[in-house]
Amino acid sequence: MDRRVAIVGIGQTRYETGKTESLDEIAFEAASKALADAGITRDEVDNVVIAASDQLDGRPISSMTLACPAGGYLKDEVKASDDGTLAVVLACLRLLSGVFHTSLVVSWCKCSEVPTAKVTNLSFDPFFHRDLGLNHINALSFQVNSYLSRYPISEWVPAKIVVKNRANAMGNPYAHLVEEVSLEEVVQSPIVCPPLRQLHLPLECDGACALVLTTRERVRLTTQKPVWISGLGWAMDSYYLGERDLHQLSSVAKAARQAYQRAGIKKPIDEIDVAEINELSAYHEIMAYEALDFCTPGEGYKLVEEGSTELTGKIPVNPSGGALAASPLFAAGLVRIAEAALQVRGDAGERQVTGVRTALAASCYGICAQGSSVFILSQES
Amino acid sequence: MARNVAIVGIGQTNYTTLRNDVTYPELVFEAVTKALSDASMSIDEIEAVVFSLAPTSLVGVDAMERWCIDAVGAKGKPFMRVNTGGATGGSAAQAGYFHIASAFFDTVLVVGAEKQGDTPDTQLILNQIWDPRFERAVALNAINMSSFQAVRHMHKYGTTEQQMAMVSVRDHKNALNNPHAHIRQAVSLEDVLASRVVCWPLKLLDCCPRSSGACAVIMASEGRTRKLMQRPAWIKGIGATTNTYYMGDKMETEMFNDHGDWDELALAAEHAYRMAGISNPAKQIDVAEIYGPFSCLEIAAVEALGFCPKGQGGKFEEQGFFNMTGELPVNPSGGALCSNPIAVTGLVRVAEAALQVTGRAEGRQVNGAKTAVATAIGGSLQFHTAMVISANL
Repeated sequence: MDRRVAIVGIGQTRYETGKTESLDEIAFEAASKALADAGITRDEVDNVVIAASDQLDGRPISSMTLACPAGGYLKDEVKASDDGTLAVVLACLRLLSGVFHTSLVVSWCKCSEVPTAKVTNLSFDPFFHRDLGLNHINALSFQVNSYLSRYPISEWVPAKIVVKNRANAMGNPYAHLVEEVSLEEVVQSPIVCPPLRQLHLPLECDGACALVLTTRERVRLTTQKPVWISGLGWAMDSYYLGERDLHQLSSVAKAARQAYQRAGIKKPIDEIDVAEINELSAYHEIMAYEALDFCTPGEGYKLVEEGSTELTGKIPVNPSGGALAASPLFAAGLVRIAEAALQVRGDAGERQVTGVRTALAASCYGICAQGSSVFILSQES
Repeated sequence: MARNVAIVGIGQTNYTTLRNDVTYPELVFEAVTKALSDASMSIDEIEAVVFSLAPTSLVGVDAMERWCIDAVGAKGKPFMRVNTGGATGGSAAQAGYFHIASAFFDTVLVVGAEKQGDTPDTQLILNQIWDPRFERAVALNAINMSSFQAVRHMHKYGTTEQQMAMVSVRDHKNALNNPHAHIRQAVSLEDVLASRVVCWPLKLLDCCPRSSGACAVIMASEGRTRKLMQRPAWIKGIGATTNTYYMGDKMETEMFNDHGDWDELALAAEHAYRMAGISNPAKQIDVAEIYGPFSCLEIAAVEALGFCPKGQGGKFEEQGFFNMTGELPVNPSGGALCSNPIAVTGLVRVAEAALQVTGRAEGRQVNGAKTAVATAIGGSLQFHTAMVISANL
């Protein structure tokens, strides 16, 4: 990528359930914090890209009320759908075109006001699958069972992921769940949909996240240390679960390949210092290691057993605690980018991994990760 | 500056109320197939896809763009959906433009479909777009919201019901030449004025139909375009503006707060014109495709686009300025008044503008048209997009 885009502002609300603020106020808080972090005002932003889901926001065209609190008033503003990370993708394309110079990106979700499983059931086609009662949670169990039928890993492996992420979250002031759990607690937690247990799954919550992006020419106008987006990729897989190779995260692999190519990354495990992954379940974090080429397919469990993805390991994954510690569903992927950027900046506080120069952020969205976006962030432009 | 981007393929289905013969992805597939054929391309040559889809409540499937991945050939490809309400088609076209202008891709497919015939009552759903706390209970919908705009324009500038009716007569006459149009029936001034009042001053024939149908536009970089065709349509300028949402915020007389004026579209157009090097739109633009689902909205739009002075839209309409034989023909396709497949209405404007500047608009062709502007509008008349398209680079 010749012309580079930098993240120069990061804003997050606290992630929690039952926020009493309205969606408008939550979006406003994140947007304001990102601008303040960048040391600029809204006057210096020439375009706003938001991402949200009408159904999860509880009204069609939710950007009608939310575009302005997110900073869009009298700006060139546009709303992407599918996932918060796609707002970053679209903002990058807008900036790289040279038409715009500074973007404010905002996404949010208020799961406490939405029956999310009912919403995702409505995303199944009305003819064949909807009446089966499928939703974004129980469909994951198909995927995990498909993986396990090929790679029968012990249930202590995903349990270790949960223990790791929940322990990491203790250092994250924005995290929703700040309480450590033990391996025994994980393997004894109630079954939600076999083999998935309650503690294997993110607990959906409320919150918003915002970023300020700008071009190389404008970076000096902000007061923040820039974090460069050196690679990005995004991809979709087929819709019908029966047509997909469910045992692998194909969209993640496709998105990662694009991002690595753009960033010039050949051996991810050696070149990436830290990763933030939107793990749809504890098992999905392991599947993501494989899709992201941190290891070969079926070998993800080894990284866990070796402790390679723990805070002190070779490639720490989810030092923030990941989605298992805070999942504002639609915005959870954007949070991964924000956290990865904080790591590159060296501003991640207690959850900081030492010596981070290059970070990866990956998002999964749709049923069984039908879609994915992958970003490579680095200190150097 | 941005890389040059051209429109190299267009596919439209016919627009109609019901398409019970196909599923939503099948409807999308029709437009994709037509656009690929128009561009003489195969689906494998498409590098990325932008999906144009407004509220899915009109069909009843959440995130139904994901249902269409295979219909648009996007498996394993970069894909994103844009949703800005009625303005979605305009926003999606701009997102497609950025995919190529950024040098990320050489080809992109911008596609979507509307199937609102599947819902019993579009306006009931469009009431849900208002926020649950303040304005939803007022029973607002797209029709009465637009009638407020009409009343304000009448009060402020003396625009008449006759002038609005003339917009409808012109669009209906033009639609007779468009094989894709939903309503293909000539109406007289008397017909419009005598039609049933839906929400005063808007009468039935001042209002759009609820249409189903699909539209696809293929865009390409300059290098790829040169290999594909002789007469591409170049995207010369883009612009968009978002304004406040609350109806109550538009009851003032200051700029951007007066419901009668479309200052937001003027701002979006100014950006697009500046990129395209247009300083005198009334002279430099040959044809316009305006997203005006109600007759009164076209009057506000032609003023905001700088085709006539503010407040004079009705008078210019009366003088035939915007007729096919007038100075600046507006909506040779019949516009949104004759086909309104909400999710793609803005994209249809772009497609029709591209057909005009490349001389491919057949019976609805404006002679010698070289430069066109296409607009879209969404939300509470708050999201506006403008795109300048030209035969010349």
